[in-house]
Amino acid sequence: MNTVTTIAALLLFPSGLILLLSGLAFEWADRKLLAQYQNRLGPRWFQPLADVVKLLAKEEVVPEGVNRTLFIALPIAGLAGALTAALYTPLFGLQPAYSFRGDLIVTLYLLSLLTLCMGLAGSNTLDRFSLVGATRTLTQLFSYEAPFMLALLGPAVAAGSWQISEIADYSSAGRYLLLTQPLGFLVAIVGLMGKLELPPFDAPEAETEIVAGARTEYSGRGLALFRLGKGVELVVGLTLVAAFYMGGVANPLLWLVKTLILLLVMVALQALFTRLRIDQTVGLWWRYGALLVLVQWLIMVLVGLL
Amino acid sequence: MKPGTMLKDIARSLVRKPVTERYPFERRPAPDRLRGQLIWNPDPCTGCGLCALDCPADAIEVLVIDKKAKIFEITYHLDRCTFCGQCVESCRQGCLEMQDDQWELAALDRGGFLIMRRKDGAAPAKQDSPPANGDEQAA
Amino acid sequence: MTTNTTSERFTVPIGPQHPALKEPGAFRFNVDGEIVTSATVRLGYAHRGIEKLAENQNWVQNIYLFERTCGICSHTHATTYCLGVEKLAGVEVSPRVSAIRTLVAELERIHSHLLWLGVSAHEAGFDTLFMFGWRDRETVMDLLEMISGNRVNYSVNILGGVKVDVTPEIVEQILAGVDLLEERTKHYLDVVSTDAGFLQRTRGVGVMTREQAEALGAVGPTARASGVARDLRVDAPYLSYSDFPVQMILDDRGDLEARFVVRLRELFESYRLLRELVTHMPEGELATRMPRRIKAGETVSRLEAPRGDVFYFIQSNGSDKPARVHVRTPTVCNMTSVVKLALGHQLADVPLILAGIDPCFSCNDR
Repeated sequence: MNTVTTIAALLLFPSGLILLLSGLAFEWADRKLLAQYQNRLGPRWFQPLADVVKLLAKEEVVPEGVNRTLFIALPIAGLAGALTAALYTPLFGLQPAYSFRGDLIVTLYLLSLLTLCMGLAGSNTLDRFSLVGATRTLTQLFSYEAPFMLALLGPAVAAGSWQISEIADYSSAGRYLLLTQPLGFLVAIVGLMGKLELPPFDAPEAETEIVAGARTEYSGRGLALFRLGKGVELVVGLTLVAAFYMGGVANPLLWLVKTLILLLVMVALQALFTRLRIDQTVGLWWRYGALLVLVQWLIMVLVGLL
Repeated sequence: MKPGTMLKDIARSLVRKPVTERYPFERRPAPDRLRGQLIWNPDPCTGCGLCALDCPADAIEVLVIDKKAKIFEITYHLDRCTFCGQCVESCRQGCLEMQDDQWELAALDRGGFLIMRRKDGAAPAKQDSPPANGDEQAA
Repeated sequence: MTTNTTSERFTVPIGPQHPALKEPGAFRFNVDGEIVTSATVRLGYAHRGIEKLAENQNWVQNIYLFERTCGICSHTHATTYCLGVEKLAGVEVSPRVSAIRTLVAELERIHSHLLWLGVSAHEAGFDTLFMFGWRDRETVMDLLEMISGNRVNYSVNILGGVKVDVTPEIVEQILAGVDLLEERTKHYLDVVSTDAGFLQRTRGVGVMTREQAEALGAVGPTARASGVARDLRVDAPYLSYSDFPVQMILDDRGDLEARFVVRLRELFESYRLLRELVTHMPEGELATRMPRRIKAGETVSRLEAPRGDVFYFIQSNGSDKPARVHVRTPTVCNMTSVVKLALGHQLADVPLILAGIDPCFSCNDR
């Protein structure tokens, strides 16, 4: 029975199919909220699902001169990384399916695996747009990764553990870390936008400059897998930040409410700002991002000493 | 330099209804001066053909059947018409005007786009092409 | 299949199909990392042979042909053509006709600048400004639809006059619309000159000095943003501009921010002019008889389109069809500045530099 429930958990709920569908649902919520902020209608509820279904039905064109195995394998690896990262987070307000000491670092790495796969996929081709996009993706990865990780480690230090389930339980006990570690919260939100390549940090996939960045050459199934991976990453990222900073996600209703509030704030930031150039992104992160999070840590250390 | 100068706009939009018009469920009325389909009033027509001469899209053809009895036939190609309204201005007798309430003139096939009228109201030499959208096309 | 990687530089193609371009044009930028080292442009993808077509149609049919050279400045083309032909025929139109033509021309300028604001904001990645700018542009589109019956290709001109008249109800609507637009334009001017993120993308980018602008022959708001005082409405007034003068808006910084500021401040001038024009509309008849055969001769007519000056050379040999019409549009003059200015900038700045000249490839290629 245990194997069956494990397989059901992996394939259906809470990971697998339900996670993919909720990734699409959150993508829809993101687009609909952005539209509402911009005073327009936005897509209907089934739009992301219809996009994925259409993409899966299309022919996958493998361009000349690429490494065919890598081309086909990289989207799968990226999606796999995102789905695996979801196993350790308190998705849907339930306890994580698997948990071990130090899984915070592993989860963050697995989330970065998706970005790395996209960067590699872009470098794999000979297309100029993909190469520029891949360079930008990897540059952006190097810039936001350190502050974002430090921002997520702030609650870990406060909870005294590097295990996600323990940190989430610590926050659920009524501790709103967004009030006690505001700078860390700010860096976490903005870092999440950088990780998900949401505007204003969407230089790697700037539509008006490099068509679609690293994903330009992808079509059909590969593109669908990348989209699904992005959706899953959105859900996992929102869950992590909500669980750590916003007082934990003890049950599904709280999870839904908190992630949606977080999404509301993130989409407002998306609507407010112009896209940053890649050098401006790097400058912003290495100057202000790192500074803010180090100040936050300093405060934590000083308060801890007192 | 301020960050987020459009904050008031997006905050206000969050609580208001979107301005998007949900066409085809909500339709705006046509403007008063819409230049729609051409309507020919045969009575004042003298068959001078200035409308056909001045049409930039060759959408009007004037066929003189009987000059003495003033019987003319006008062929109007609705699919070629650019709705510019020059024919209305060129006509010295004021026979032409443009319909101002129907602007959804698209169809799925060419039937219904060839409109022929005779001055004395009799059947024209060629029939109108049959109407589009479902009716069978004559050979 | 060869790749274009010579040392560390390669060629990034922007166009003929690219999301940055609304119309086709082939740009090739050699980049070294992200810095552009050289650029070339190839145009002609939207060439339809309009000048040759004009020789096979009569003078009246050609109004509509030239109107369709461009969708954004359609009225400008039609008016320039009509002014030229009326000059050749020696026909004087009534002041009311000139006033109505000026009215529609200024409304067109407003719609074109608001369109440009949205498109450039989109190229910079600032989609919110794009959406809100175009929402407010609907006000002026509704005004144009109310006056002429159509939102694009208004076709108000006929040889010797106009087809439509301006009634007191229309005047009221125009005044109300202009009030709304003025308030919104003030807000956009504020956004464009103070938004930190937007200024990071536009301040100091694509700087064109006054000498460069004069050497490259730039026209329109692009030149005025570099301090070149060229505006046909002031230098060579046509239509009603001698009775209702406009002030030239100049800026001496020459960067992208200056181009935004110049175009938005031009909008304020247009609003002021519109208010004055509709409240002091001169009387006159709406159409003057024109002969079907125009006297032989040649003439030149020039007009200030929203993008710069439009130049028409019309030659007649006495028949009912023109012998030759040559059109020179402002984008032709401004296009070389793009390839010159892009050098040394990052690839991310290139779509903005291109959008900064307000390119209209259809006008360009005819």
